[in-house]
Amino acid sequence: MKFEGSLDVAEYVRKEIYPDGLEYVPLRENRVIVKVPPGDLAKVAELFVKKFEARLIHATAVDLELRGFEVLHIYDFSKVKNRLVVVVKALVDKDNPEFPSIANITWQATWAEREMKELLGVNPSGMPDPRHQFLPHEWPNPVESGSIPEGYKFDGSATTKEMYLPLRMPIEEAYQTLIPIGPYHPGVIEGQIVYVKVEGEQVVAADIKTGFHHRGIMKLIERRGYNKGAFLAERVCGICSAAHGLAYITCAENLYDAEVPDRALYIRTLLAELNRMHSHLLWVGVVADVIGWKTGFMLMWGLRERVMDIIEAITGNRVNYGIWRMGGVSRDVPQELAAKAKRTVDELREECAKLLMLVADHPVVKSRLIGVGPLTKAQAYDGGAVGPVARASDWKIDVRTDNPPHAIYDPKVISWEVITDDHCDTFGRTLVRVKELLVSCGIVSQCLEYLTKTTGEIRIKPKTVPLGAEAVGLNEAPRGELAYYIRASDKDSSLPHSIRIRTPSYRNNAIIPLMLVGSNLADVPVVMGSTDQCLACTDRFEIIDERRGSRKSLTWDQLVNLSRRASRW
Amino acid sequence: MVDLIYTAVSLVVIVPLALFLGVIYSYLLRKLSARFQWRVGPMLRMYGDLKPLLGTTRLLQPLYDILKLYGKETIVPDVSRRRLFVYSPYLSLIFAVAAILFIPFPGMPLLSWVPYSLIIASYLLIGSILFTILGPIASGSPWAAIGARREVELFLVSELGFVLSIFAIAIARQSLVVWELSRGAQSVYLAFLTIVAGALMFAAVLGKLHIKPFDMPEAEAEIVAGSYTEYSGKLLGTYYLTKVFLLYGLVGLFISLFLPPIATDVLWLPLYVVAAVVFVFLLTAVQVLNPRYRIRNAINWYLKVVIPLGALSFIIALAIWLVV
Repeated sequence: MKFEGSLDVAEYVRKEIYPDGLEYVPLRENRVIVKVPPGDLAKVAELFVKKFEARLIHATAVDLELRGFEVLHIYDFSKVKNRLVVVVKALVDKDNPEFPSIANITWQATWAEREMKELLGVNPSGMPDPRHQFLPHEWPNPVESGSIPEGYKFDGSATTKEMYLPLRMPIEEAYQTLIPIGPYHPGVIEGQIVYVKVEGEQVVAADIKTGFHHRGIMKLIERRGYNKGAFLAERVCGICSAAHGLAYITCAENLYDAEVPDRALYIRTLLAELNRMHSHLLWVGVVADVIGWKTGFMLMWGLRERVMDIIEAITGNRVNYGIWRMGGVSRDVPQELAAKAKRTVDELREECAKLLMLVADHPVVKSRLIGVGPLTKAQAYDGGAVGPVARASDWKIDVRTDNPPHAIYDPKVISWEVITDDHCDTFGRTLVRVKELLVSCGIVSQCLEYLTKTTGEIRIKPKTVPLGAEAVGLNEAPRGELAYYIRASDKDSSLPHSIRIRTPSYRNNAIIPLMLVGSNLADVPVVMGSTDQCLACTDRFEIIDERRGSRKSLTWDQLVNLSRRASRW
Repeated sequence: MVDLIYTAVSLVVIVPLALFLGVIYSYLLRKLSARFQWRVGPMLRMYGDLKPLLGTTRLLQPLYDILKLYGKETIVPDVSRRRLFVYSPYLSLIFAVAAILFIPFPGMPLLSWVPYSLIIASYLLIGSILFTILGPIASGSPWAAIGARREVELFLVSELGFVLSIFAIAIARQSLVVWELSRGAQSVYLAFLTIVAGALMFAAVLGKLHIKPFDMPEAEAEIVAGSYTEYSGKLLGTYYLTKVFLLYGLVGLFISLFLPPIATDVLWLPLYVVAAVVFVFLLTAVQVLNPRYRIRNAINWYLKVVIPLGALSFIIALAIWLVV
């Protein structure tokens, strides 16, 4: 299948959507760049969001060295025209990197602008919340970073503890009623703090602070080129690695006139959906654990192991599959294996349907989930929820239909549906995920059927990436919409100039404080878990022998041998 | 004189025996819940090649876990009320050990024949739980404060069920002496009362032992370790030891009050063991089948179950007293 874009889309954008742009550049797959002066960014955002109901996918900035900073706002126009994505660009001067903030127009930009500000030093003027997002709040000092309320007398003698005031509370009050959940807390597996202010067991205010886990993956990809980037992108997340791989490959293939064989597309879909299955099973297990139901946790993870076994049989790996290539995949699925896997998946589907419905119908589970973490459709829309969180608020948004990645999701070829639910709470999110899991089983089954019956090529050699090309790649990760933006280098055809990743949890975590206010303290971990936060992990270690003072790293073969010895009875 | 010596000896013997049985009950609780959850749990017969390293059986695993804590560093937070924080676990343990002296074991009446022993035993059990609330409050941790608060709320409702059930039996049988209650002759009316009040006591024991869905005072995913957040080393080990004794004590009290005359003669010992295993199995079944309640749901559940069941058992008890 060839992935090309039509040139008249740029013309369409100029005529129908925004006529005053400086320049219109068409990209592949109905993506259009509109260049505007920096002062117009807010005006454009207002027009896009209010008139066309476009959704901001991500806001970011790129450092163009001497030329200045390029501010990018990526909007999703799929509701207006099929698969249309508009990238609004503005070049800001390095000496005075100021441009109007759009966070007041579309709240989704809040986190993105805070991140932009601290990573590049650009200054969106008029930000509603100027505190640090990823850097410590008190860096370089609390007054400059805005974490101290106005008028607070800071005499420089405060202790480190007192310098940080979450929720802008007075110190005396903060010590009494503020409960920190994280960065190390048994209910939250990820490095982040959610500060909740409680009265009794009632949460009256909440605040979230991220930035405990910066790994610089975007920078690493920029130095290693397109091919190695696929492996690095998988390592962004240990659970939705296939989703990251597919989104990266979609984005990289959009840089040139890509052609991908059909069989490879089916294998991609197969892996992405198996990934979704094990991710959702994992999530149900985690929620069972958070509400204190170890049995549910164990049963769900037992089922998940069987999905992992299928993945291992297909790719040879459990977590990072390493089969994503530009122009196809690196490993075929033999017909016998596909037939065997299909039988297993069909069995699994029946068992999942039985067990999951049991979980969803358990009276105590229901009493713990119904009405917890309410999020209306309007709130989800304004807050920028994505994925199952948005779909559980009855908002039909799914990248696989709106803006499909380079895989097979065509409803004419594969029968599947987008699941929505109108519970608007954690129970709704559970139902959406449970039903999606069964839909994924169906897709996997259909892909395996195709793979059983046919043979063919799995990879077409990629063409050279043109200098200075740009592309946006989207994919529906298990947790929601995942966006990649790549700008190719102007000098070297094997290196990207810059890459930006917007993960689904980036969006869903931002609305956690919104869902928390008014809930019971016992429900805080449930609400936090209900967004299915993506946990980041690394997989290497070093042995340090204190007695001898020696250090050694293990090679892969040694590790395999060690694990074989450990598991031999 | 012989009686007195026998009592003295049995008082000394019962403490290690209760510890051993409590550990076995805890082992059962862990092993059974592991089997329910597709896990292995602590091994009864160790794998062949691990025997030199780990021993032939891990039957006493709960005890090893406690002993391990006694070898760990004990940290006392600066902000705590030191004296109350440190003494509470020991006082709690002393109350629990004292309580088991008033609960008969097959062949050993212990102190259960003293007047008002039922009231003494239940008072001592309450005292033991009281100190699992006071210690955490003294620790100065917000998690512990919330855990202790939940414990108080849970304690109030579960205690209601506990007291109603044992006094329904006491009214029907016209006695406040555990030994007499555990010996008594059975009748059809009493059997009916036993079922109702027994269910009530079972519900109360769930709350006292923090069996799910009532483990919210130490709900790990919500409030770290709840009441025990600041406890470590010996002090935490002492609390766990208290729990082992409480488990034994509550099982023993249940059998002696609701399954007479199993807890009297030494010949009943096999049946005592069977009854205890069944009781622990029921606890495990509830534990594995339920997620944790919110504290408010738990109180509502107790009020829904305790008030009707308590009223019913009291009516039956009064009827037996007045009519039969």
